[in-house]
This record gives sequence, structure tokens and C-alpha cells, in this order.
Amino acid sequence: MYTLNKIPDWLTNPRKCLTIAIHLPIMRNKSIKNIYSVVLIFAGVPQTEGVIVMNTLFNRPVPDSLKKAFNAEFSEQEPLFCVVGDLNLQAKYGDSLLAFTKTHIIAFDQTHEKSPVCVAIADIEEAKVKRMYGNAMFRVKCKDGKRMSLQRFSYAAANVADAAAEYVNSVNAEGWSEDLVEVVKSVYHKQRSFCPKCGRKLPSPDADCINCSSKGHILSKLSKYIAGEKKGLIVCLLLSIFTTAMALVPPYITSIMVDDVLPNKDAQGLINVILILVICYVLQYAVTGFRSYLLRVTGSRIVISLKKDIYEKAQYLPMSFYDKTSTGSVINRINSDTSTLQQFILKITQEAVVQFFMLFGILAIMLAMNWKLTLISLIPVPLVALTGRFFGKKLGPKYMRIWRRSSAISTILADTIPGIRVVKAFTNEKAAVHKFEAYCDDWLSEDKVVAKVSGFFPAFMTFLVTCGSLIIWFLGGQSIISGEEGFSIGILVSFISYASMFYNPVNFFANLSDSYQNTLASVEKIMDILDAEPEHDFAKGEYPDRIEGKIEFKNVNFSFDRSKKVLSNINLTIEPGDIVGIVGTTGSGKSTLINLLMRYYDEYDGEILIDGKNIKDIDMAYYRSQIGFVQQDPMMFRDTVFNNIAYGSPNVRVEQVLHAADIANAHGFICKLPDGYDTMLGERGVGLSGGERQRVSIARAILKNPGILFFDEATAAVDSETENLIQTAIERLIRGRTTIMIAHRLSTLRKANKIVVVDKGEIIECGPPEELLAMKGKYYKLVQIQSMGEKLLAAKAEENFE
Amino acid sequence: MILFIEGPEVKLTVNDGIFLDVDFATGEHFDMLEPHCLFPISGRNKYIVLLDSEGEQIAVVRDMDQLLPESKQAMEDCLREYYMMPRIKRFIEMSEKFKIWMWTCETDRGIITFEIRNHITAVKPLYDGRILIKDANDNRYEIPDIKQLDKKSYKMLAPKI
Repeated sequence: MYTLNKIPDWLTNPRKCLTIAIHLPIMRNKSIKNIYSVVLIFAGVPQTEGVIVMNTLFNRPVPDSLKKAFNAEFSEQEPLFCVVGDLNLQAKYGDSLLAFTKTHIIAFDQTHEKSPVCVAIADIEEAKVKRMYGNAMFRVKCKDGKRMSLQRFSYAAANVADAAAEYVNSVNAEGWSEDLVEVVKSVYHKQRSFCPKCGRKLPSPDADCINCSSKGHILSKLSKYIAGEKKGLIVCLLLSIFTTAMALVPPYITSIMVDDVLPNKDAQGLINVILILVICYVLQYAVTGFRSYLLRVTGSRIVISLKKDIYEKAQYLPMSFYDKTSTGSVINRINSDTSTLQQFILKITQEAVVQFFMLFGILAIMLAMNWKLTLISLIPVPLVALTGRFFGKKLGPKYMRIWRRSSAISTILADTIPGIRVVKAFTNEKAAVHKFEAYCDDWLSEDKVVAKVSGFFPAFMTFLVTCGSLIIWFLGGQSIISGEEGFSIGILVSFISYASMFYNPVNFFANLSDSYQNTLASVEKIMDILDAEPEHDFAKGEYPDRIEGKIEFKNVNFSFDRSKKVLSNINLTIEPGDIVGIVGTTGSGKSTLINLLMRYYDEYDGEILIDGKNIKDIDMAYYRSQIGFVQQDPMMFRDTVFNNIAYGSPNVRVEQVLHAADIANAHGFICKLPDGYDTMLGERGVGLSGGERQRVSIARAILKNPGILFFDEATAAVDSETENLIQTAIERLIRGRTTIMIAHRLSTLRKANKIVVVDKGEIIECGPPEELLAMKGKYYKLVQIQSMGEKLLAAKAEENFE
Repeated sequence: MILFIEGPEVKLTVNDGIFLDVDFATGEHFDMLEPHCLFPISGRNKYIVLLDSEGEQIAVVRDMDQLLPESKQAMEDCLREYYMMPRIKRFIEMSEKFKIWMWTCETDRGIITFEIRNHITAVKPLYDGRILIKDANDNRYEIPDIKQLDKKSYKMLAPKI
């Protein structure tokens, strides 16, 4: 325990105080177990600004007006936590406050008829957060039947309000205890994840702060890829400088030829000059050829390493990323955006440098030849540069719009081409074509706008450059006609050559903004993946000795987005070796339970334990390797049957695969395939029936030899005969392993020793099947309905047979 | 079988702000039904489902405009309470630091600052000229007509659509 004699200013600053309360456990989670220990440190410190500031938890800083109002009216009350809302009860933006003490709820809202409203928790029958569309309300039903809406807020505060409602209900049900506050605190901890350094909100609790850890500028991000190819790029650059120097020689030689060799009819001189030019051109083009080869190889290496990184990152992105980003868009980023970026990198590292040398080399030569004419020929340069900047600004946003539209086209392709069977089955070809055409037209109309700008832009620039040449012709011609000393036709001809060469780099730099804008759009998309938060492996390297298979859900709540809770207050214990059947209607949350167990989503409240250890405290790769997951529509890869079975089990022996296939009842049908285990499967396992694919996936799970098994509707899409084959395979596989089976067909759960009935995201029944049948609850009803259905089917089949 | 309500055969009254008490002409009565739009984005006046406390569907109102005036008013009041998709009038500021955007806008419900993590997924232009925006907390906003935005706001938004 620390003793504080003087309160530091950061303790009285709500934002800083909040940050510390939230982040100490994260920063030193080995030494300080939870936020409450921090609160204890503060206990006993004289309060200078009222109770809310010192000890209270809040989801965002309490506005001063509400803080003062509270402290003025309730100086005796000590709230444990507050929900600070962003809407008033009339759904207008404004601050509101809901403060919770051991015994009361105090609501501040300007639109309350009588504000503040103070309700005794003991008088409340039920507290509830009513989620609506884009907003939610904290509502209470009093024991006298009266209903009250105490606070309205956007989804930003919905999770903490849920915890607050749970707190109120629990206080009424079991009496107040420290444990109840602890539960609320853990939710606040998750909700209010701010960076301790900059105070910004983190993408998820405990995540690295993008703000603080960002590498900053695009180029610094890309330098990693450039650095790897440093040698090649430097060699290319040196060769480029050489070819540039070579390119500067011919105009000079030409002036000698025009002024000295031709007027003097010097035949030997002519041969010498031509020979020099030949040598220059041979060297220039030979080196250019070699440089192009080297540059292409180097560029390809850069783009491949970028593609590899993005692909690797894409593998580790959480499922929530893919829920929001279409796969077509990700594919587009890996394929075309990286190529755009490659071109830009080469442009910057090579051409820009070459053009820079060219620009100053020509300028030096021209100045040496005739400084006055040089300065006059530079007149259009500022115009060229300004025009470049103007058009660049116009083009940037337009390229972003084009990108969005081309990404939409990729998404349609990624949707419809793999799903071509469905398109044909529903004779939806025309509609698919129309939709694709509409997207293409949309892209085209955007592209036309860009084409207009990018088409006229270079033409206008070239016109400006031509104006420069015309000025030289006019002034240089006048000098020759007037017989100006030191100025010859040869000099004018070479000057014109240099001037036209001079505008190449000027043009290049002016157009650079165009390709820069185009690249920025691509870079942003690529960085979106590279900078995205990967799945959090909080406990990398933490391997338990072995996994026995005890699974516990403790107060688990989960929602994909904040608009609707998918799982509410899940508490469940599964003993090692248990075979658990999860039943419930479609959309009840069965598969989500498995998704959380698979750690596809980590942003849930509460805890999931395996053998008493939080699954987030186990190395993610190790954890997943201990789980076998058989899905309803198993994914097959474009590979041989053998490799599909051996997927995820490298270095496996052939006989192990055969054995696994045999146990999975797959060996029989594989033997009958002409190419046996070498049969190449098409996309998504084309070439195998649904039941066959399922058995291959079971063989895959057998080969993995997991301690825990999940089956998600494994037999839902097959006929009865195949179901029997799969069922036998499953029964062989699950022996001695903790197994969770989701099934619509209750017959597939005949081996289950425990049934969990899920309804609307809650567990409503749990226990051995016999007990649940005796209870005559939901499970009993489901069994009755199914057995009736089966009897009807059997009767019908018999009738048809007769 | 879906029971469709055409209009005059029911009387709706608001109960507790967001619920409706429903009286059918046949004498059937339902308390505390929750109206949900089946098409909250493409057409809020048509196909409104009435759900009981268990989330079970009782009936679907085909077209709100065909209801008796008092019933229509009751339903409108209810839906106004339930659905909150502020309409953005103008953008005041868009700042970005390290891929996290903070957008401050004036809406029909006041000024709000919200966070956008990825404007590619957060901003959805519709073909009827509307723009839908979903912030980092899954709150929704709407721009009824992008052409009606002032020049400054349009300039801010244009690169993101």
C-alpha cells in the first residue's frame, strides 16, 4: 500500500486518472491483478473535487456540468461506477449520466421531467438495456409495475450499460458484494482501452497503439522492401547515370558536326564523329538493356516480398476483419495494388534519380553554351510545375473513387464465379450479367472523369514544353540571322536537342504527382491490411503440458456488432471426455459458441477456460492444434485427396493418412477413384459428393489427433446412409476426447452424455439427455417434433414402397 | 403463414414509448408488441413486423400509410423512438491520425464526433444518392442526398465514396 501525502495533478484530472486505472493492469499485469487494487491505492486520499472524480469508474470523462450537479446534490453518495451517455432521452445528442451506488441509481438527463431521478435498487424488479436501432436505453421495471427509461445512449456505451443492468439485477437477487463490482469493473476495463501514452482509443483492449507504434510515413513503411534489394537498385542506378551521361553526348557531337565537320568538308572528321556516335549509342543501348533486365528482376522481387507479407498478414487477421472486408477486395489488394506500388517504387528509386541528373546535367551544358537563351527557355518551367500540382490535387480523390469501383468489380467476380453453380441453378445469368454491367458502367463513368483530366493534362504540359522550343527557335534564329558572335547553327541545333531533352525530366516530375496520387490510393489499401491489428496471441510460447479437455464458460457475453447480443451470460462446464450436444433453433448462437472456443473472436466479455486456464493465456497456434473442427460444408483445397487429408499435418507418413481415411470411412470410396489418393480436387472439393467431402474432413481431423473435437452440423447435408457412415466414423474419432457436437438431427447425438439447449443466445437447459427429457422442456419438445417427423417420413416411405 | 395487416382492421396505441398495443377488428388483442421495419434502409413505411416479447412474429403491416390516422401516428411515434439514424447536414471536421479518423458533423439531432476506423467499409454509397455511414461503435448515420451537401462537406466526403 502506498501513502500519498499530496495529490499529484494527474490524479485530479479525470482523463489521466482513467488512463491509469485502465492501463496499470495491462502494463504490469503480472504484479497488479486488477483495477480494484488501483482503486485501493486511492482510498483514504482526501477528496478535493467530489466523489465522482476520485473513486468512480466511468466509460468516458464525466462532463464538468454533470459532475458539479452530482456533487452538489449527492455529496453523501459514493457512486461505484457511472455510465456516461451521449444522447438525451429525446434522442438528441447531449450528455447524460447514470451513477450506481450500493443502493441507488441516480440518473441525470436534462429532459427528465424531474432531474435528477434517484431510484432505490431494492425497488427495482428488473433492469434492462433495450437495444434499438442505432441507440439503446437503460430501462427499469419497478416492483410497483411502473416502467422507467432512465438513460439513452448510442452503442458506444451499450456494453457498460449491460454490465450495469446485470449489476442491479444481481444486487437484488443475491445482495450486494464486492464480486458484483468486480464483474462490472472487468467490463469497464475491456470497454475503456486507451493508450497510456497518447490517450487514444485502442482498436481492442491490450492492443498496440497504432498512433504510438506507427512507423509513420509511407516511404518509411516501404523502405523495408527497398532495403532488401539495395544492391540491385544501386547497380541499376549507377547504370542509369551512365546511360544518362551517354545520352548527353550526341547533341554536343552534332554541334561539332554542323559547325566544323560539314562546312569544312572534313571526310575523316565525319568518320571520326560517326564512330564516336556509334560507340556512344552502342554503349548507351547495351547498358540500357542490361539495366532493364536487372530492374525488372529487382522490381519483381520487391513486389513478391510485398505480396508475401500481405498474404501472411491476411492469414493472421481476425475473423472480424473478414466480416467487414470482402475477400474480393483483399485479393485486389494483393494482386493489383502491389503492382501499382512496384511501379511507383521503381519510379522513385530509379527514374526520379536519373531524371534529376538529366535535368541538372542538361541545365549545366545549356548554361555553358548560352546562358541568356537558357534562362529564356526556362520561362515555361514554373507554369509546367504549377499545372502539375493543380492537376495532381484534382486527380487524387478521383483515383480513390476509381479504386473503390474496381474493388467492387473484383468483389462481384469473387462472389459469382466460384458460385457459378448457384447462378446457373437459379437461371440468374442475366441478372448476374446486368449487375456486373452496372458496376462496370459505374467504374467507366468514374474512369471517364479521370481520363478527361489525365488526358488533357499531359497534352497541355506538352504544349507548354513546345512553347519553350518555339521560343528557342525564335530567339536563336534571330541571333543567327543578326550574326551574333559566338552563336552558330550547330549550337542552335544542339540547344534545341538539349531543350527537348530538358523538358523530359520537367515533364516527368510534373507527372509524378499523378502516379503518386494513384499509388497513394493503392498504398492506403495495402497499409490497411499491413497495419490492421492481427489476431492477438497474448500468450505466445505458453504451452500447457497437455490438454485434458475440461472446458468452462464463465459469464460469457458476445456480440458481432453492438446492435445485437448474440450470446448472453453463458455459463457452462464440460468435463474431460464429455460428449456434449448443443441443440437449438437456427440463429440461436450455437455456432458462435464454437467460434469463440476456436478463438475466431476474442472480443467477448467473461472468460473461457480450458483445464482451468484462460484460452487467451495459451499459445494460439498450440491451442488450435489441439482442436479438431469438422464443419457442415468442409473446405477442400485445389490439391490431391492425399494432401487434403494431410492438410495441417506436415511430415505425415503415407500409412497414417491411409489409416485416418479408413477410420473416417473414406478409404473405401477413395480406392474406387481412378487416381486414388492422387485425385485432384477442383475448387471447393468439386469431384466429391457432400458426404465424401465430409469424410475426408473427418480423416483430416483424425490425422490431427486432437484432444478436443467440435462438430458443426457435420451430418446435416447428407442422406441417411451416408449419415450412418459418417456417424460411425465420428464415433470412432471421439472415443476418449472431449467432444462438442452441434446438431439439428438429434439422432446424431445418441452418444452425448450432456445436452445444452441454446435459445436466443442463452443456455436455457443443460444436463444429461434423460434428465432433460424428464423435465419436458424445450429439448423434450424438439425430440417430440423430430420423432414425429421421422415417423411421418417412415410412414410415407412405406406407403410409396407399397 | 404470415398474417398481413392491410390497414383499417387494426387499432394501434403506443405503450411505454416503443411498444404498441394492437386491437384487431375481430376482437383479438395483443399487448406490448414491438414494431420492426423489415426494410429500415430502403423503405421504412412498408412491411413493418410486430413482434411479441419472445420475438415471435404476430403480424406484418403491409403499408403504414394505409393504417387509420391515429394508428399510423402511433406507429410513427414508436418507430421514431426505436430507430435512430441521424441525418448528416454538414461535415464540420475530418481529422485523421494513423488510420483513425474522427469526423465531426452536424446532424438533425445535434453535433456529434465519431470515430471511423476504415472508411472503405464504413461509408456505403447507395444508388439513390444516399450515403450510409457506420462508425466504429456500429452507430449509423445517413446523408439523405449527397448533392444537397454544401461544397466544403462534399469536398471532404468525395474521396471516400
